[in-house]
Amino acid sequence: MTSPKKVALVAGREFMAAVTNKGFLIGLLIMPAVFAVIFALMPRLMTASSAPVSGDVAIVDPTGRVAPALRSAIGPEAIRARRERVFDRAVNTVAGPGGTAAMRGGPSPASFLGTPPDFRLVERPAPADLAAEKRGLTAPPAGGRRRLALLVISADAIAPPAGRGYGSYDLFIPPNTDERIERELRDGLREAIVSARLAARQLDPRDIERITAVATGPSITVGDVERQTSTGFNRSVPFVFVGLLVFGVMIGAQTLMTSTVEEKSSRVIEVLLSAVSPLELMAGKILGQMAVSLLVLALYIGIGVLMLSSFAMLGLLDPWLIVYLLIFFLITYFLFASVFGAIGAAVNEMREAQALVTPVMLVLMVPWLLAAPVARDPNTTMAVALSFIPPVNTLAMMIRMASTSPPPLWQVWLSIAVGLAAACAATWAAAKVFRVGLLMYGKPPNFATLVRWARQA
Amino acid sequence: MMQAIELRDVRKTFGANVAVDNLSLAVPRGTVCGVIGPSGAGKTTCIRMIMSILFPDSGSVSVLGRASALEAKDQIGYLPEERGVYRKMRVGAFLTYLAQLKGVSREVAAARVPALLEQVGLRGTERTACDELSKGMLQRVQFVGATLHEPELLILDEPFSGLDPVSVRLLREQMRTAHARGATILLSTHIMAYAEELCDHVFMIHEGRKVLDQPMEGLKRQFDPRTLVFEPLHPRADVAAIRAMPDVERVEEQGAGYVITLVAGADPSLALARIAALVPPARIEIGRLRLEDVFVRIVAGGGGLDEAAAALRSRLQAGAVEEARA
Repeated sequence: MTSPKKVALVAGREFMAAVTNKGFLIGLLIMPAVFAVIFALMPRLMTASSAPVSGDVAIVDPTGRVAPALRSAIGPEAIRARRERVFDRAVNTVAGPGGTAAMRGGPSPASFLGTPPDFRLVERPAPADLAAEKRGLTAPPAGGRRRLALLVISADAIAPPAGRGYGSYDLFIPPNTDERIERELRDGLREAIVSARLAARQLDPRDIERITAVATGPSITVGDVERQTSTGFNRSVPFVFVGLLVFGVMIGAQTLMTSTVEEKSSRVIEVLLSAVSPLELMAGKILGQMAVSLLVLALYIGIGVLMLSSFAMLGLLDPWLIVYLLIFFLITYFLFASVFGAIGAAVNEMREAQALVTPVMLVLMVPWLLAAPVARDPNTTMAVALSFIPPVNTLAMMIRMASTSPPPLWQVWLSIAVGLAAACAATWAAAKVFRVGLLMYGKPPNFATLVRWARQA
Repeated sequence: MMQAIELRDVRKTFGANVAVDNLSLAVPRGTVCGVIGPSGAGKTTCIRMIMSILFPDSGSVSVLGRASALEAKDQIGYLPEERGVYRKMRVGAFLTYLAQLKGVSREVAAARVPALLEQVGLRGTERTACDELSKGMLQRVQFVGATLHEPELLILDEPFSGLDPVSVRLLREQMRTAHARGATILLSTHIMAYAEELCDHVFMIHEGRKVLDQPMEGLKRQFDPRTLVFEPLHPRADVAAIRAMPDVERVEEQGAGYVITLVAGADPSLALARIAALVPPARIEIGRLRLEDVFVRIVAGGGGLDEAAAALRSRLQAGAVEEARA
C-alpha cells in the first residue's frame, strides 16, 4: 500500500528544504573553509607566536672545550639547520619519502620554522660562585639583556677518568622559561659536547655524521600495483574514514530529527498524514536526508581526493575503502536515522529531544574513544568483538578496514550482515514509535515510553 | 443512497479516558453533515479515526466505500483542527506539494493554485513565504490545500475557529462551491450557529457518545422552539397583558426585549397578530430553532433551565466567546 511516488515526493521536499537552507550551506562550506584557514594561516600564526628571543646564556666550562663549540652550535645558522632536519623528518613521517618533494613544493619551510633565537654566550670563569651565578638568572636584566640560562659543564664531560663514563652538565633556568628555549639549548649543548668529545679523540665530526647517516628508504607495498607506504598517512586513514562516517550520519540524522520536530510543533504533520501514511512519511524523510548526507560525503571525499592527488599521494588510498565507507554509511545511517526520527516524532520540541539524544550520541562517540587502540591493533579480541556488536559494529569495522592490517573478508561481510539486521530492526521499531508519537502532545516521553509504543503499535 | 462515511460501533480510549464510545453514524454522499458538540466532546478523535490517523480500539470505519481512509486518501480533502504549514515554504510551493501528495500532477496543481488563492482573497501570494501571512490568511491557504485536488469528500475540523468575519464568509462560499461541485462535506464545529446555517444533517456528540442524529428539517419539526422574539416600541411598555394571554406559557426578559414561549399547539402566526395588537412592537418575529437549545434540551433531559442545562449552555457559550475573542 506504500506509494513509492509519495515517498519520493516527501524525500524530494526534505532534500530541497535541507540543501537550500542558509544554515546548511554555511555549515557545508565552513569545514573546508576552516581547513583552508588552518593551512593558510597556521604557519604564519606559529611564526608570529614565537616572538624573537634574545638574551645571555652563561656557561661555566671547566673543560674549556665545550664553550667554543657551543658558541657555534647555538648560533642562528646552526639552529636553523637543526630545525630543518626536524621538519624533514616530520614530512617524511606524514607523507613518506615519495611525498616529500611534493609537499616541499608547497609552503616554504622557512615560514614554518620561524626566526632563530639570538643567544649570546657569556663565559664565567671556573670554579664559579654558583649561588651568585644563579641569582643572576632571577635578577633584573642588566644593560637591557636578560640572562636566559646558566650551564655548568662537568669537568669530566669531555675526557672521563679511566674506567668511568662521560660526565654531563647542569642547566639552570629562571622560572617560566619557554620550553622551546630550553630545547634549543639542550640540542645545541648535545651537538657541542659530542663535537668536543670527537675532537678530543681526533675524529672529524663531519665524517662521523656521514658514516652514521642512512637516508630513510620508502616502504613499498607489494601487490598488483606497487604503492609507496607512508606511516603517518596510514595512521590517519582510520580516523579520517570513521570521522567521515560519523559526520555523514550525524548530518542526516540530526536534520531528520529537527525537521520532524518542526513538522510536529508547527502542526503541519496532521495535514501530511491526511495525504501520506506515517510509514511513507518516515521513509521519505529518511531517504531525503540520506541524499543530503551523501551529497556532503561526496563533496568531502572529492576534496580529499583532490588534495591527495595534488600532493601526489593518491596512490596511497585504496579505492575499495571508499566503496566500503559508502556501504557502512548506509547501514549506520539507516540505524541512527530511524532512532533520531523516532525521537523527533516522540517529542514536542527540540529541548525535550536533547535528553533522549544524549545517550545515542554517547554510543556514536564510543568508536572515537576506541579508534586509537583499534587502529593500532585491529585484530585484538575487543576490536573483533566490537565489529559484530550493533550499533558500533560498522564504525569499528571501518576503523579496522582502514588500518594497516585489515580483517579477513568474512568478518567484513558478517559485520555488514549484522549491521543490516540491526538497521532493519531499528527501522521497524522506529516506524511504530513514529506512528504513535506523531500525534502525541504533552508530557515528553522517556525511553521506556518509546519502547512501550514500539510494542503496542 | 451510498454512504460517504460509515462508522459502526466505534470506540476509542486513551488510557482510562474514553474519547469515543460506541459511536455509529452514516454520512450520505452529496450532503453537508455537521458533527457538533462542545469542546472535548470527542469530535476531533472521531474525525481522526475517519481519516485513519488514529485507529479505533473496536468497531469499523469505512470511507468512500473503502475499508479505510488510507485507501481513499487522494479523494479526501482534510482541514485538521491543528493547522500548520511549512513556515519557510512559499505559499504556491506548499500548496503544490500538498496537491502532489494527493496525486495531482505538478502542472495541474500549479495551474489551479493562483485561481483558488484569488477565490479566498489571497491573490498574488504564491511567492510569499508562509510565515509572512497572518493567521486568518494561513487558514484560508490551508483550506485551499484541502480542496485543491477537488476531493469527493471534504472533512473540515473546526474550519471557522479563530477566523475573522471576512474569512468566515469566504470559507462558507468555498464550502458551498465544493458542495455544488458534488462533494460530500463533513463539518465539525462547536459553534452551533454555523451548523444551523450550513448543514443538511447533524450528529451531536456529548462525552464521546452520539446524542442526536437527524436531518435539519426533521429537527426543525421536532424541536420547534414555540417562541416569539418581541421588542416593544416603547421600552417601558407593560407586558402584563401578553403574560395573561391563554396562548402564552411564559414571558422572559432578554436584552432590550422579551422571549415569549407559547403553549403547546398554539398557532404562532395568530399569537403574533394578537401580541402586536396588545402592545405596539418595534420588532416581533417567530424564534428560529437554535441547535444550542436542542443540545441542552437533549443532554439536560428536560428543557427547563435547571442547573445542568445552565452549566451546559455556559460551556457551549464559553467556546463561542473564545472564538469571538480570537
